[in-house]
Amino acid sequence: MSVSLRQSMAWIHGWLGLLAGWLLFAMFLTGTASYFRPEITRWMQPELHPQQVSTTRAAETAIAYLQRTGADDLQWYVYLPDARTPLTRIYQVPNPAAAPRQRRDEIQLDPATGRPATARETRGGEQFYRFHFQLQLPHPWGRWLAGLCAMFMLATILSGVITHKRIFADFFTLRWNKGQRSWLDAHNVSAVLALPYHAMITYTGLITLVTMYMPWPILANYKQPADFAQIAFGLPAERPATGTAAPLVAIAPLVADAGRRLGGPVARIIVHHPNDQAATISVARRSGTSIDAHSPTVTYDGATGRLLEQSGAGGAALATAGVMLGLHIAQFAGPALRWAYFAMGLTGVAMVGTGLLLWTAKRRRPGAAAFFGLRLVERLNIAVIVGLPIGMAAYLLANRLIPAMQPGRADAEVATMFWAWGLVALAQLLRPARRAWREGFTLAALAFAAIPIADALTTTRGLPGSLRQGDSLFAAFDVAMLVIAALFAFAAWRAGRAPAPRSRRAARAERLSETVHA
Amino acid sequence: MFVERGHPAPSPSSTRRHLRPIVWAMAARSVTALVGGYAAAAVLATLAARLLPVDRVEATGWAMIAAFLIYAAIGLWCFHEPRLARVAGIVWGVALLGGAAAWWLGVRP
Repeated sequence: MSVSLRQSMAWIHGWLGLLAGWLLFAMFLTGTASYFRPEITRWMQPELHPQQVSTTRAAETAIAYLQRTGADDLQWYVYLPDARTPLTRIYQVPNPAAAPRQRRDEIQLDPATGRPATARETRGGEQFYRFHFQLQLPHPWGRWLAGLCAMFMLATILSGVITHKRIFADFFTLRWNKGQRSWLDAHNVSAVLALPYHAMITYTGLITLVTMYMPWPILANYKQPADFAQIAFGLPAERPATGTAAPLVAIAPLVADAGRRLGGPVARIIVHHPNDQAATISVARRSGTSIDAHSPTVTYDGATGRLLEQSGAGGAALATAGVMLGLHIAQFAGPALRWAYFAMGLTGVAMVGTGLLLWTAKRRRPGAAAFFGLRLVERLNIAVIVGLPIGMAAYLLANRLIPAMQPGRADAEVATMFWAWGLVALAQLLRPARRAWREGFTLAALAFAAIPIADALTTTRGLPGSLRQGDSLFAAFDVAMLVIAALFAFAAWRAGRAPAPRSRRAARAERLSETVHA
Repeated sequence: MFVERGHPAPSPSSTRRHLRPIVWAMAARSVTALVGGYAAAAVLATLAARLLPVDRVEATGWAMIAAFLIYAAIGLWCFHEPRLARVAGIVWGVALLGGAAAWWLGVRP
């Protein structure tokens, strides 16, 4: 007997979704938080009040700092400040031939003075962003696992769409308080409502790391794979150092010239072989000024200031890839669109979460003892759906509670996130499942409500003060934490209610009306 | 689901004997979908990149963009088609023959 396409797709949809579901939930949640990566970082360094200066001034102070500390470096990277990221970030690649120096981390500079910014050490929003596609695993395993999960997601979306017989009707169907039926409705509504978003974000997520996941087409067309990257991403041609010293030209006129040529604000400067006759200075436009995330670049001779090359507009394929990348990271989005992205991301979290709950709701039989697989999935659901948000709240709380000047505090913050998550995942095993849900949600509500309190007690930028001073970023952050806490409190209240008693006839009618999907 | 209703419950050893071929078949199908599907998608994308009559940057770009959709379609088909031999033959056949063709064609001159 041949199986219908809808039946086989329903079967594979359930298993793909279950196997990758927990990691996908974590990827959706941390990825959604990452839409506010610079804002989270700023909230996590409350002692910084950097003043805005012009791009050229920030470039000058950064290059002056680099000349003082690493005049013989191999490469300098300078990321200039913008409205969302007020600090200059620099990264130096030291010269291996010179005196051996430890490879340094990225440094934050005050753009007005060019001195390293003194603020508490933290990974900030970068932690959620990195976890979103590296899953806290060593390179490259985290990225491969994240890619595999994204492939499962893509296949799950495709099979889910094929399975669905009434995609339009489900748009308007949400039946509350009907047990499994409600979870199916919630899963369908969250999935169908934002289907274009889910499909887009999954596919474009794969495209962000396509040169790692699918490098084979490059090998068919290029003897040197680096040539493709150079053409595709507008990287300057590599020039070896001559060994003859030549002072670097002044940066400010180049930045101004690049801004004119590129037709937009400048975001990144890369200097190769500074203070050598073969020095090059590449200046890239800010990627947030268009949806295409591949930012055009101009390259100058570092010794004379002569224009060497300007990366042209790529063809349709590269522009498509650039737009896909841009759609994923959403740096082009203004505040309103960014909040819309955030809301869409939350529907993704809801889609994966309700899908996981549906798997257990579908297999639970009243009066029958739960089999091992059902109990395992239920416990893993609690560990991830309740545990990860508590871990994220613990990370933000640790930022306020670990002393600001304590050495190694950035690592301690990250450790706090995973210890909290792991402890919740283990502690819930001691409680019956229904109580574990309620108590877990209550703990999450308390943890998120504690964040604005800790902020008010340990800094001068707590909610009352930030509201009075019009510090919209800090006020919005604290209010968002309170809203999240309220949502978890609501979830705890719902999870605590006994399930409505169902008449036998209602249960039977429901079974008869089940779709293949359910 | 492997025991017909009405028959006495089988001993654990006989269940295992009944289960084993099914488990092996599902494992082979999964490996074919996951690894073979990736290989076939990579080979098809590589051939497309090599043979599309457009500029090499463009051909490479389009092939890379389409690769994941090809992979997902192959993977889903692996679980839809009931005959495992057909699944394995086509997926691994495409991967091997296509791979040989890509190797024979070499890098675009």
